Amino acid sequence: MGGDKPLRIVIVGGGTAGWMSAAALRHRLRAEDYSVTLIESDDIGTVGVGEATLPHIKLFNDMLGLDEAHFMRETRATFKLGIEFRDWDKAGEGYIHPFGAFGEPWGGVEFQHHWLRAKLAGYAVDPLQDYSYAVVAARNNKFEFPNGDKSSIRSTYSYAYHFDAGLYAAFLRAWATERGVRRIEGQVSQIERNGETGDIAELLLKSGERIAGDLFIDCSGFRSLLLSGVLGVGWQDWTHWLPCDRAYAAPCKRAGALTPYTRATARKAGWMWRIPLQHRVGNGYVFSSKFISDDDARAALLGCLENPALAEPRLLRFSPGRRVASWSANCIAIGLASGFLEPLESTSIFLVQAAVTDLIDLMPKPDAARVDPRLSAEFNRLTEMQYDRVRDFLVLHYFANGRVGEPLWDYVRTMPLPDTLMHKLELFRSRAVLPNYQFGLFARDSWLSVLVGQGVMPERYDRLADAFALEATEEKLNDFRDRVSWNVEAMSTQADFIANYCGAVDMMTEEAVA
Amino acid sequence: MSGASVNRVVIVGRDIALWLSAATLSRALAPSGVSVVAVELPTRLTPAHVSAALPPLEALHAKLKIDEGALIRATGGSFSFGQNFVDTAQRAPSFFHAWGSCGASIDGEQFLPCWLRAKRQGLTLPLESFSPTAVAAKNGRMLLPDDQTVAFGRTDYGYHLPSLAYAGYLKALTASLSVAMHETRNVDVERVGGNASAIVLDDGKRIEGDLFLDASGEDALLIGGALGVAWESWRAHFGVDRVLTARAPTFTSVPPFAEIRADAQGWTALHPSLAVTGIVRAFMSASGDDESATQAASRAAGAPLVDIAIRSVDPGLRSSAWQGNCVAIGAAACALDPIHDADLQVLQLGLVHLLSLFPVSVRCDAERAEYNRLMRSHCARIRDFQAAFYVLARFEGAFWSDARARALPAELAHKVDTFRARALIAPMEDETFSPDSWRQLFVGLGMAPDSWGPTIDGIAPQRLQAQIRSILDFITTKVREQPTHQAYLDDLRGAGA
Repeated sequence: MGGDKPLRIVIVGGGTAGWMSAAALRHRLRAEDYSVTLIESDDIGTVGVGEATLPHIKLFNDMLGLDEAHFMRETRATFKLGIEFRDWDKAGEGYIHPFGAFGEPWGGVEFQHHWLRAKLAGYAVDPLQDYSYAVVAARNNKFEFPNGDKSSIRSTYSYAYHFDAGLYAAFLRAWATERGVRRIEGQVSQIERNGETGDIAELLLKSGERIAGDLFIDCSGFRSLLLSGVLGVGWQDWTHWLPCDRAYAAPCKRAGALTPYTRATARKAGWMWRIPLQHRVGNGYVFSSKFISDDDARAALLGCLENPALAEPRLLRFSPGRRVASWSANCIAIGLASGFLEPLESTSIFLVQAAVTDLIDLMPKPDAARVDPRLSAEFNRLTEMQYDRVRDFLVLHYFANGRVGEPLWDYVRTMPLPDTLMHKLELFRSRAVLPNYQFGLFARDSWLSVLVGQGVMPERYDRLADAFALEATEEKLNDFRDRVSWNVEAMSTQADFIANYCGAVDMMTEEAVA
Repeated sequence: MSGASVNRVVIVGRDIALWLSAATLSRALAPSGVSVVAVELPTRLTPAHVSAALPPLEALHAKLKIDEGALIRATGGSFSFGQNFVDTAQRAPSFFHAWGSCGASIDGEQFLPCWLRAKRQGLTLPLESFSPTAVAAKNGRMLLPDDQTVAFGRTDYGYHLPSLAYAGYLKALTASLSVAMHETRNVDVERVGGNASAIVLDDGKRIEGDLFLDASGEDALLIGGALGVAWESWRAHFGVDRVLTARAPTFTSVPPFAEIRADAQGWTALHPSLAVTGIVRAFMSASGDDESATQAASRAAGAPLVDIAIRSVDPGLRSSAWQGNCVAIGAAACALDPIHDADLQVLQLGLVHLLSLFPVSVRCDAERAEYNRLMRSHCARIRDFQAAFYVLARFEGAFWSDARARALPAELAHKVDTFRARALIAPMEDETFSPDSWRQLFVGLGMAPDSWGPTIDGIAPQRLQAQIRSILDFITTKVREQPTHQAYLDDLRGAGA
């Protein structure tokens, strides 16, 4: 900064967060105003094994102008309609949290009230899950693009991807370096600050090279090399609400049909993910080191794989929480360097995307002498809101469990909840009111799916639903459910759809197509 | 399903708050077995009162199946597309705050920073030139939406409704529903523990209920008087403590907007309608007496005033709008400063949230907590908008010096900082006023952001110029197609004849 164009942005770390940031900044900012340099080392591994995303990622890719089929082929991606949660409430039972609506509002009253009213009146209503197009499609391993006609039941969902995060980072790296992002291979050995302002001024690499910058983006992962390491920004710990602090991850070959959803299965000391990619399945066991040893966790993961592991399981250590501020001085942390929330709801990449988007809006101008603290204050406010809202949603999954007699699960079922979550739960229990906020994840239907899916049932419903005759409500419910099942029947399978649209592997042999 | 339920609602109040509450609750909840009793206190309205309503009221009217044409005919009301702010000393530039959209995005970028950049390149037109409704209104025209205007943005409007007639209309509507109606001059409230159990009227009649609504305005007979729930004053932010109402002759051609005329001692608002021009004068007792305020109001209105009444006001918030089984609605829950015409909005917010949280059983702690949380948050955001007007205003005089010296609520201070730094409106939950409204307010009051987002600089100068021109052309064409407000009102009246 200081008036010399262009403003030099230096990104430290080249995982998903680093390359998403680099690509977005390069695409949205003028080269004459901003230069973008990214430093990464091939010696430092990134975390991604297989990554599940949220529908927002499509906006990000569209913003860059990526060709979807090409991107999916390159990253071995599959479509995702939601997440299946198994064994969280009762053993052998599960539900899907879909990227889609449940039913439709009638008479200005949300669907769940009509459903509850009929149920409480003794009508033979079907499980809530059957009234979601995305859930029924997912259960049948179907996929098609949502219909653009908003009056169609086929418009009531959206979709995300499962992809290989390493390949996605590589894909964005190629994309970004072609467009002028300077990539430097190397490891940061020393970080120098401006003696007067305290701002970060220069990075010294092991090679001896010096990289000066005006604005530094810390994508160094858990280490938070700059924001925490140099600037000493504090940490807000959430272990008491989210006790899992480690994960083992291992890929394997797929057995069975290609499912258009992530699976999260509750286990003794945590939960296991299953992320189906085109060429393999990503698996992992997220666990609490207080409740199981590393060795037992590793063995448990290997024992649950549908096929032998393709690689030695990798152990990841983390602590849940967030930096007290993600932007301090001239340094912005994005991704794991700014906070960590376990991948239970596939939020990590979304949080990267939100941070990059906000950063572009609030980016210091090239002619600014220093970072305007009013800009970083707004960035930090927005980031804090995002993390806190996701946190409450994650904690709900743990709290509302029916796994009585297992120490981890007994603890989280009885732990004191964040006040904000306690209030949401009470409202839902009393009369099926869902959290309703305009900014941040998650929307009402998401809350509804998890609450009902994990056995939190309201005692009553909104009385405005009484405006309909019960027979009329029953008819509407049946009609909606039938429309869902007829339409899903006509869809193609996920496997066929991908083979035609973006297949990178032969689905029969699961060998990569050259 | 509503076994030990809350089925008997008793509303104590007067005028619009009483009748709008009674009609809304009865219409929505009668199918669920809820009965409504309305206890009417003597009116406080005079022929000078005009209720200025923000755009959301239209949606509530639709739920009540109120026909807009019939309402305008019955009340002698009119349409309002926003507020024009004028400095009678002609030092600060006037500005229009339209309820509708202002500008349209250019290449996916927000309009405001584009306008700021175009200004840097020599554009001299004010922001309001880019609001179709503002331009139409200042030309005395309506802005009736069609596909093209919908694609451009919102063309929201509110109303100016002569209050006595509006209250009468709502009372007649209430009477057509199955609402029991009683009149009394005073009420006694019988209590059991922290709850109200019955209302006793002048004639000794006793009305029991499960849920009581306090629609008695600033008197707050139930929530304040009987239950003693505290009042949180907003005096730190607002200097206005006296408000005059009066009426002036009607305009020959009724303007479709309100005008606020600021002078050294306060401000005077003109709310035109077919039946009457309502005058409101806001001032501070510390810097001017009632006599000089009356003269100032008359001067500002440019006409002799009649039906003059002056009252004290105490802006603030009931610490719990819902306490026990009593819900304060409207001014009993939150009294706003009279600028920006949001009183009916507070009433509507109270009703809409009460409907969606209406008790399903006598145990309703969660609903009560949520209702109080929501009302506090919504009212605070309106308060911020109003406080911004006073703290940032550039008018001269003792009244405005006092206003500028008052405190900014923390959320507002953050919003102001974010806007000054980057021309962005910090997004917050529970806003009544849209980002467009905030932008018009901030710009209208002369705030000049230090920077705009870097992506704005990616638009080529010629492209920017061409897009700005095309927005202006669109607005000019659209406004020319519109009927005048007066002709539109005449048609509405004719249609009912």
